[in-house]
Amino acid sequence: MKFLKSKNSQTIVVILVVAGLLFLALSGYLTPVFNLSLNPLISFQSWLSVRYLSAQDFLTAPRDITQLREQNAVLESQVTQLETQLIQLEERLGEAQVCFALLDFGRTNPQYDYIAATVIGREISPFLQYIIIDKGTDHGIRYGMPVVTQQGLVGRVDAVIGPAARIKLITDSTSVVNIRLKAAETEAQLLGSLTGDLALDMIPLDENVEPGDIVLTSGLGGNYPPNIFVGQVLSVQTRENVLFQTATVQPIVDFNSISSVLVVSNFVAVDISPLIPEP
Amino acid sequence: MISHLVCAISIVVFYILQITIFSQSPLVSGAADLVLLFFAAWTLQEKMKNSWLWAAVAGVIISTISAMPFYTPLIAYLIVVGITKLLQRRVWQAPILAMFIVTLIGTFVQHAIYILALQISGAPISWGESLNMVILPSALLNMIFALPMYAIVNDIAGRIYPLEAEL
Repeated sequence: MKFLKSKNSQTIVVILVVAGLLFLALSGYLTPVFNLSLNPLISFQSWLSVRYLSAQDFLTAPRDITQLREQNAVLESQVTQLETQLIQLEERLGEAQVCFALLDFGRTNPQYDYIAATVIGREISPFLQYIIIDKGTDHGIRYGMPVVTQQGLVGRVDAVIGPAARIKLITDSTSVVNIRLKAAETEAQLLGSLTGDLALDMIPLDENVEPGDIVLTSGLGGNYPPNIFVGQVLSVQTRENVLFQTATVQPIVDFNSISSVLVVSNFVAVDISPLIPEP
Repeated sequence: MISHLVCAISIVVFYILQITIFSQSPLVSGAADLVLLFFAAWTLQEKMKNSWLWAAVAGVIISTISAMPFYTPLIAYLIVVGITKLLQRRVWQAPILAMFIVTLIGTFVQHAIYILALQISGAPISWGESLNMVILPSALLNMIFALPMYAIVNDIAGRIYPLEAEL
């Protein structure tokens, strides 16, 4: 008993007990005891925590909702402003892309001077394919000047007044353009139609024309400058007992969505009609 | 006087709408003709006595701007006003029905005049293709827009002559 009363021996007993407990805990023998004692504590802690958070929510939520609503309104307003800015920037980007494309065309064809114009209307009669542009004689536009876009040929100036001009598209049913097939190295006539489709006529029978062949202006007739891109051959029709082949052409320009054009201002159209003998 | 002013402004507005929007939104190759619809609806209003005058004025101006030969828009609009006047006396109790009939007949007559004029001027336009690709789609679009146009013009007429309308 004296041995147990000494301080050193008490310390040793405590260490041994703690070590024993640690050994039992680490070896898993005390887990049921821990569970039995801790589970009620955790359950109580959970219950208390849930009630506390509910109470906190109840006390603080109304103020937060008001704040959130205010923040939401501010953010919605910012979103609306940003969307408006985005639309404006997209519009400007679209305009800039058109301008860059037109500029590109001007750079690749430096021999011509161009007047850029915006399409402001179309012919009232659905039988005719004409557009109206916002530039006229006041800006240097004259009758007969060819009109192009960055993609290719559009048509020519058919009528002009001070602030505006009317352009006859190559898709018009009365339009005839002398063209050159790049691959076949032959010339033909490009005809418009009522529906706006383009067709090639007067292709010699011995010429081998394939779908995909490039169609360029030939410059014959004096109405259009040579080597302006028109489109590609879509299909070729060869029939027996005819003198020429015909073909349909896919125009490079989307005539339904033209918004800007370039008028070639330094090309003088030659009127050769007096030289054509009357039948 | 006010009816002249309103008529002139309306023609300008509908013509601008026509060449900027409606001619750029075709159905197949056909398009609605707001000016024709306006004249049909305007002529059907009993109080409006200036249809001939403004059809002539608008016809001349539009013919000058248009690429159509021989002043055909002028002829077409005058004929539409004439047809409307005839129908107004016969179908006076059902103006909306008259509007639809005028729109249908007027569209066919107008396009027939256009085709004739273009054929005379040398354009290779066939009747069959024109009927399928232009006339029928245009007639359909005109019929669709006939009722709203009649409602608008009827409202304008009611505002110009409110006292007579109340009596």
